Amino acid sequence: MNVLDLAGVGVRLGDAEVLHGATCTLDARTIAVIGDNGSGKSTLARLAGGLVTATEGRIRVLGLDPAREPARLRRRVCVVFSNPDAQIIMPTVAEDVAFSLRSQKLPRAETARRVDAALERFGLAELADRSAHDLSGGQKQLLALCGAFVRRPELVIADEPTAALDARNARRIADHLFAAVDTRLLLVTHDLGLARRCESAVHVAGGTIVDAGAPEEVIAAYEDTLRC
Amino acid sequence: MLTLHRPGSGPWHRLPAGRKSVLLMMLVLGLCLLPTSRTSAAITAIVCAACFAVPGVGLRELLRQLCAARWILGVTAAGQLLFLGPEEALANTVRVAATVALCGLLALTTPVSTLLEALERALRPLALLRLDHRRAALVLTVALSTLPVLAGLARQVREAQRARGGGHSLRRFALPFLVLALKHADALGDALAARGVR
Repeated sequence: MNVLDLAGVGVRLGDAEVLHGATCTLDARTIAVIGDNGSGKSTLARLAGGLVTATEGRIRVLGLDPAREPARLRRRVCVVFSNPDAQIIMPTVAEDVAFSLRSQKLPRAETARRVDAALERFGLAELADRSAHDLSGGQKQLLALCGAFVRRPELVIADEPTAALDARNARRIADHLFAAVDTRLLLVTHDLGLARRCESAVHVAGGTIVDAGAPEEVIAAYEDTLRC
Repeated sequence: MLTLHRPGSGPWHRLPAGRKSVLLMMLVLGLCLLPTSRTSAAITAIVCAACFAVPGVGLRELLRQLCAARWILGVTAAGQLLFLGPEEALANTVRVAATVALCGLLALTTPVSTLLEALERALRPLALLRLDHRRAALVLTVALSTLPVLAGLARQVREAQRARGGGHSLRRFALPFLVLALKHADALGDALAARGVR
């Protein structure tokens, strides 16, 4: 099943056409989305996460139509944003992770077990009762990842998850993202080193997909556009 | 900052969230209905202190709560002194202080997720009116949880103003704060959707 199927997809936000004629079929475990600021990368990620609706064309995410099957999409797909502050919903670390399981209506013991396991996996177990808002930027982003992965999604869409982090934390976050072998990853990034670690890449420019394929080729073509 | 739950095993911690909320609500109501006098103020202060002077909480926590609410208490006391007189000012300010502290006691001894569940149960009758009680409880909880974020945004705006040499101006503060708050609301909506909340 393809991760993303786009055929002539366009998105209008008010009067602005932020995505148009986007067409591609992506099927890899890890996919990088690269491009300049304002090129439409985040809109593509939000479209795939069902956070914005296509105004034209046909889109399928893991075979699902986000507009017609939003609940099924939300069960299988998680989105992580670049600003970790905006993702904190509950006051403490453990409660924030547990909040992600709220929609799954699991028994209390099962929720606690999964939360503990996720906190352990992301190195947050000792911070479980700390205020989520008082964590460092890197810890907050780890919390956001933890909140996404605890739901055991099939696809994680990460929109520049390392953008505001130092090199050490950025590497930790990236390692966690790539270590999840049973989860597919759609990674929007400006870090071409991270994009190279993916199995496939997409170049977005001027609100449309201009290139897709093997990361080395897509990145080389993108780097050519950077030369003055 | 929003009062955070402190894990513990004291009597307040062991009390179920629903019963605890009702008990504290009744206590606050009872204290507020006492006549406005020095004696009532003393009774209110003693009851409030007794509620905190149990294992797992402590009087230091009471002081912390009152310290956090010092501006509200100060404004209340000043207004009452100006318009009513010292005895009424004392009684009413102690009432407000006790209300703030006892609400804080609920938050201190109950995890927000447990409060959310209790709130959901309490709002269940709304389903008879075809209202989504789960969503109503979630809205209230998210509103509470957003308070520290709004405090952070306010600090951010003030620092940006100072960095540019700006003085204190409510108008210059209000507009960027409102824009940031709305942007945060937008991001929060996305974060909720990203966590599977309709």
